Amino acid sequence: MTDTPRRITLEEWDARYAELRAGGLREPAYGGPLRRHLDDGDLRLARLLYDNSAASLRLWNFLLTEEERLRQARAGGKKLVGTMKDLGTVPVMAYSLPNVVAFYPDGAWWLPCVMEMSTGMLEVADSLGIDEAFCPVRAMLGAFLTEAHFPIPDLLTCSVGATCDDFSAIAQRLEALGYPILWWEAPSRRQPDPGEAAVCLPGGFPAPQAQVDFVRSELERLRSALEALAADRLHDGRLAEGIRAANRVRRLLAELRRLAYKAEPCPLPALEMLIAEMLAIHFCSDRAESLLVFEDLLRETRRRVDAGQGVLPPGAARVFWVNPVADLRVMNLLESCGGRICGTEYLFCHALDEIPEDLPPMEALARMALADPMVGPVADRAERICADIRAFGAEGVIVSRIPGASHCATEGAVIADVVASSLGLPVVEIEVPPLSDSMQPTLSTRLTALVEVIREGRTG
Amino acid sequence: MTPAVLYSCSFVPAEWVAAHGVRPCRTLPASGPASAWLAADMGLCPYARAFALEARAGEADAVVVTTLCDQMRRVAEIIARDSPRPVFLMHLPTTWQSAASRAYYLDELRRLGRFLVQLGGAAPSDGDLAAVMLQYDSARAALRALRGRVSPRRFSEAIAEFHRTGAVTSDALPAAAPRGVPIALLGAPMVRNHFWLFDLIEEAGGHVALDATDSGERTLPAPFAADRLHTAPLEELADAYFGHIPHAFRRPNDALYQWLGRELARSGAKGLIVRRYVWCDTWHAEVERLREWASVPVLDLDVNGGGDAEGRAANRIQAFIEALR
Repeated sequence: MTDTPRRITLEEWDARYAELRAGGLREPAYGGPLRRHLDDGDLRLARLLYDNSAASLRLWNFLLTEEERLRQARAGGKKLVGTMKDLGTVPVMAYSLPNVVAFYPDGAWWLPCVMEMSTGMLEVADSLGIDEAFCPVRAMLGAFLTEAHFPIPDLLTCSVGATCDDFSAIAQRLEALGYPILWWEAPSRRQPDPGEAAVCLPGGFPAPQAQVDFVRSELERLRSALEALAADRLHDGRLAEGIRAANRVRRLLAELRRLAYKAEPCPLPALEMLIAEMLAIHFCSDRAESLLVFEDLLRETRRRVDAGQGVLPPGAARVFWVNPVADLRVMNLLESCGGRICGTEYLFCHALDEIPEDLPPMEALARMALADPMVGPVADRAERICADIRAFGAEGVIVSRIPGASHCATEGAVIADVVASSLGLPVVEIEVPPLSDSMQPTLSTRLTALVEVIREGRTG
Repeated sequence: MTPAVLYSCSFVPAEWVAAHGVRPCRTLPASGPASAWLAADMGLCPYARAFALEARAGEADAVVVTTLCDQMRRVAEIIARDSPRPVFLMHLPTTWQSAASRAYYLDELRRLGRFLVQLGGAAPSDGDLAAVMLQYDSARAALRALRGRVSPRRFSEAIAEFHRTGAVTSDALPAAAPRGVPIALLGAPMVRNHFWLFDLIEEAGGHVALDATDSGERTLPAPFAADRLHTAPLEELADAYFGHIPHAFRRPNDALYQWLGRELARSGAKGLIVRRYVWCDTWHAEVERLREWASVPVLDLDVNGGGDAEGRAANRIQAFIEALR
């Protein structure tokens, strides 16, 4: 059996899986060959390139069995909470209760891609007046109405205020269709006024204490709702333990990012890293298991780094990626064009930072929620991006526009300006729809152009 | 010279600005001008762009923007970056059910007050504020009284003029009794060079019986309660605006539908035109729901801010009203 890191196709995974099994691979209950997910309708899997490690197999299987896990949780008497829009806060609270499982209905935005438009979810959204002028997260409406992709949660929460209008509007449409929502307010983060009491948020930005206090009061409303749902107390002790558990995941991910984005050659592909980052915000409906998945990935990545092995040839152009892509295949495309990921800002960098453990839990969570890059000025976000670019040594930036998303109309230019003026790096903006196959030549041209400019810069 | 602030959001109380000795100018920007500064890019709301262009080029001393919509929030950042004028971004809570949201709005008004003082204004006493509120309240009563006495277009223009200058112009000739199919107009704020829409509707055989756009009578605050006007004027001001203006952006936004239900019945509207800007998610998402909810037909009129707006609208409005006859 060879353990040489490679990117392989789904076809190749069949043989690789047999090889791993023959070599004594032990899998969790949700394990199995990747092909079964294709047979279940995840058609996009046939067009992707994957990392060939057992750790990545576990990652994919964990991701693609979330729906079953949610149904099992319900069958086992647990309460389900759908935490919309908030990225990384309410799940930490929900998982602090023993009989509650949280998940992101927003995650449905990848279903049109993963199932190659075979689900009809976007058609359902169209029929409700939520057409392609909206972000692909509109697929969530279809997922609720068909009940084909996740169980209807017992409690649905949604953060609004300084969030994107698409999501707020889609969530309002959902509520009007008869799905009650507990709305909570995320205020627009601002600089403290002179003399105003202020705190430093995780990630380093300052904020007025008054804003933190307000968010904390909003989170208290959520705490009450969670307690009512669970018929159990969500006391500070439980929250503190929940924060510590979330931080264990975040620390593992931080180390994984450090290795994957800095080591040369690139030890883990962009696609698996995207999935790993996404897991951290909601634990893919099983916090304990997500920890094990991360430990496996980290072990494999360390092994490769120590052995000087990579999945890409040395010298790949080091690219920082801004915003998640609706089509997973584009992460493969970057690598096929000669690039690699060296840093990301997928709209939830605050959910990667550790939550302060030396503060009262609700204060710590409020500070983290207010550190969300979406609630603050784009200039703040750009500043954080610049800091991470320096940390990871990226040589160029891709700003990936999300079709229809209200924040994407203007943020790309702001980020590009800041990156260019602060670091002098090239920035390319692209737009990625849920299925980008017809746009691959254009996307490929733009990604290749960035790679070439980066390489030119090295020799120049 | 009295400093002036430019804004467009209906939740910024003109009284609060005026009571500080600052001139409030709630504008309806003009759409259309080309600009290399903020190109009409894919995804950019034409209204947000029009406001940004006016804010950057206009003569106001400062700009106030609220978070009522995400695009305006983000455009405020670009105005602040590229304009010498100070920009105040006011967080307007989307939720309204909790006392904390209302308190947050009130705190934002106080913060706005400090900004106005920095601009050269002076913090008003309760008595001064109450006096200004009374003045605006009377003006709005006069404004409301114009409904039916002047043409629908003139009525909506008078509201816009009041927001821009604080004055109510009632010297217009009495209008002929409106004829044709009564129509309710709902949606995003007008731009000031699009009031031809009212004429188009009349030429097609209808008339606007209810201007429920963001720039119309829907966004006028509630009349002030006389007792609280004198005992707690700022709180009363906050309640009249934050507590009473129904809007699509609020979560949940049921109050908009309750208000609309009452006003559609009162106005006798036989059809509803939802005028929205391309890329305005807030109003776009309501269109289909309105179709399901309303007892009258609904026309979705999207406006892209380009020069062909009138021609595009004319055919659709003509067909809509023809079908209603």
